[in-house]
Amino acid sequence: MKAFSLAWLLGRPVRGRLGPQLLTASAYALTAALLMLVAAGGWSFTAVQDELSGLYLVLAGLAVALLVVPLAVLGAAAARLSARSHDQRLATVRLLGGTPALAAAVTVIESAAVALAGVLSGVVLYLLGAPLVGLLHFRGQAIGAAMFMPVGAIALLALAVVAVGVVSAVVGLRRLNVSPLGVRTRAAAPGARWIRALIAGVVIVTAFTALQFLSAFRDFALMIAVLIGAFAAVLAVLNIVGPWAVRLLAGHSLTRAQTPERLLAARMILESPAAAWRQVSAVAMTSFVAVLGGSGAALMKASVTEESAAGDRALAQDILTGVVVTVLVSFIGVCCSAVINQCAQTLDRRELYVNLGRLGMDAATMDRARVRAVMGPLLWVCLGSALIAGILLLPLVGVALVLSPLTILVVVGTLAAGVVAVRASVALAGARLVLHSS
Amino acid sequence: MPENTPTPEDEALRSAPGVLSAINLKKAFGATDALGGLDLELRRGESVAIMGPSGSGKSTLLHTLAGIEAPDIGSVHFRDPAGASGAVDITALGEGARSRLRRQSFGFVFQSGLLIPELTAVENVAMALMITGIPRSTAVPHAAEWLQALGLAGLEERRIGQLSGGQAQRVAIARSQITGATVTFADEPTGALDSATSSEVLEILLQATIGRGNTLVMVTHDQEVASRCHRIIHLLDGRIRHDADASAARPGARA
Repeated sequence: MKAFSLAWLLGRPVRGRLGPQLLTASAYALTAALLMLVAAGGWSFTAVQDELSGLYLVLAGLAVALLVVPLAVLGAAAARLSARSHDQRLATVRLLGGTPALAAAVTVIESAAVALAGVLSGVVLYLLGAPLVGLLHFRGQAIGAAMFMPVGAIALLALAVVAVGVVSAVVGLRRLNVSPLGVRTRAAAPGARWIRALIAGVVIVTAFTALQFLSAFRDFALMIAVLIGAFAAVLAVLNIVGPWAVRLLAGHSLTRAQTPERLLAARMILESPAAAWRQVSAVAMTSFVAVLGGSGAALMKASVTEESAAGDRALAQDILTGVVVTVLVSFIGVCCSAVINQCAQTLDRRELYVNLGRLGMDAATMDRARVRAVMGPLLWVCLGSALIAGILLLPLVGVALVLSPLTILVVVGTLAAGVVAVRASVALAGARLVLHSS
Repeated sequence: MPENTPTPEDEALRSAPGVLSAINLKKAFGATDALGGLDLELRRGESVAIMGPSGSGKSTLLHTLAGIEAPDIGSVHFRDPAGASGAVDITALGEGARSRLRRQSFGFVFQSGLLIPELTAVENVAMALMITGIPRSTAVPHAAEWLQALGLAGLEERRIGQLSGGQAQRVAIARSQITGATVTFADEPTGALDSATSSEVLEILLQATIGRGNTLVMVTHDQEVASRCHRIIHLLDGRIRHDADASAARPGARA
């Protein structure tokens, strides 16, 4: 009971605390709403049973699996934001004689309460958004009411998001040293080693070689297994090599930086290349899959004729729609987590920003640096992974581009729109706006 | 010669040209008068300690003199010794022009240093030059010279978290001086340091400012720190209660 009353006393929404709490709850709301919309989209394919439904379910499952990454990043950003706002109050609990266990209990209760409030709002957002997403056409008809999942599934997803928040708070707490005098979190960022690049190179070359000799596999099932295995391996490798590549590129920017914003941006990335990578890792996978799926859709569209079965004609269009929707949802997730991370960083450093302004360093310089720190890795990652996917599918991408340029253009346009959306989101979280509104 | 007798240096200071003058400064926060009609003249090469109980208006005065806050009534005039034009009324300038003035002519040292944690020591100092438009390739060697001059040779590439409190404060002093600040404003610059480090940092601050013929305005609660300045101003309820040479407050001075 003591933990509950303390959590209420220290965490109840009052002026000054409301801003960060609203931000955290909004992050959970967006995570929950997007997760439910994505899951419902996948769920809707169970409504039809025919010879193609298996393939549709596999593709929908693949899209949902891909979208788990940006949503997990968004959920983790929300959890970190929640943990940050606890720091000062945790120290107060310890100063007043509370045990570490009591401080942990207060954190868990408050995290769960904020996550629950956010997730409930997320359910409302899902219910409002479902009819809109239901307008999307798959298999020749709108998804419609199939976007509404059973109540049990909604409750399960809602609980899962709250659980992620609570687990993240507990894990985050284990990394903190909460003493009566304050909370210490900082640890030097571990170096990203060159061995990662070596592993990546070997995997990419192996995958490329396997794909070149794909036709040598007589067994169709084996051929599919090799195809999926090669791409899964390359996607996994992207995550291994990502932080290393981000660090390498930021190091290169650092040596060339001449202006304050370029210097700050490079240092912000180098502070934690893994965190910079985490923020944009979803784009790496999305971009990779966009090239893969876009080429597949283009080739299918080019191969279907008037005589083709209606199902085959719809499949080509549906793959393209699926790729575009996956890319868009992934970028929405990235936009949201970028906004949350930027707001959290600004709120964390309120005193520093205010006093840098007193020194004559305007907030616009810090804002420009933060924009560069997000957009730099985002662009490298987006182009880099698209390039790797292009290399793996080298002859096919060229053929797709010649046979169905419009399809490729739609995919590239969607990727570009996603990048522009992230840029706009980061601008939204500018220091001047955040500091004035909190 | 008794220690509380003005030295020739004190006499010279009295005839030094004014660099910052405040006329009838008034500032209120709600019903509370932070500054209640205050006049002040700061001279070139002078160090001034501002003392007083909490809420007496010390920080508000410092911020108003530096153009960080605008007074409700009154004006602050800055006369740049290097400038060809006459005095500039800071209170009449727009936000952009005041920011530029702070960047180019004023230096700031805060209690907690307020350095950018991602940057190295030398980059933190160079940043003050870079925001005035000087490229990094020029700013960094100059910043390294300042750090060496303040006893931080070999620590240039250290991150702020890897420095001690005293070392970080020296970096903050270097940052405040690299642009050639005519007036340096220090808000409890030794407040977070132990007495030995405090004395060391204060000496460095005095050398870097008045030692180069510039002006230092320092808010402090510490009588010993204040007594190292030329002049001590005591504030109470936003008004000057006492403004005198610090020589009388120095250890060993006659009562």
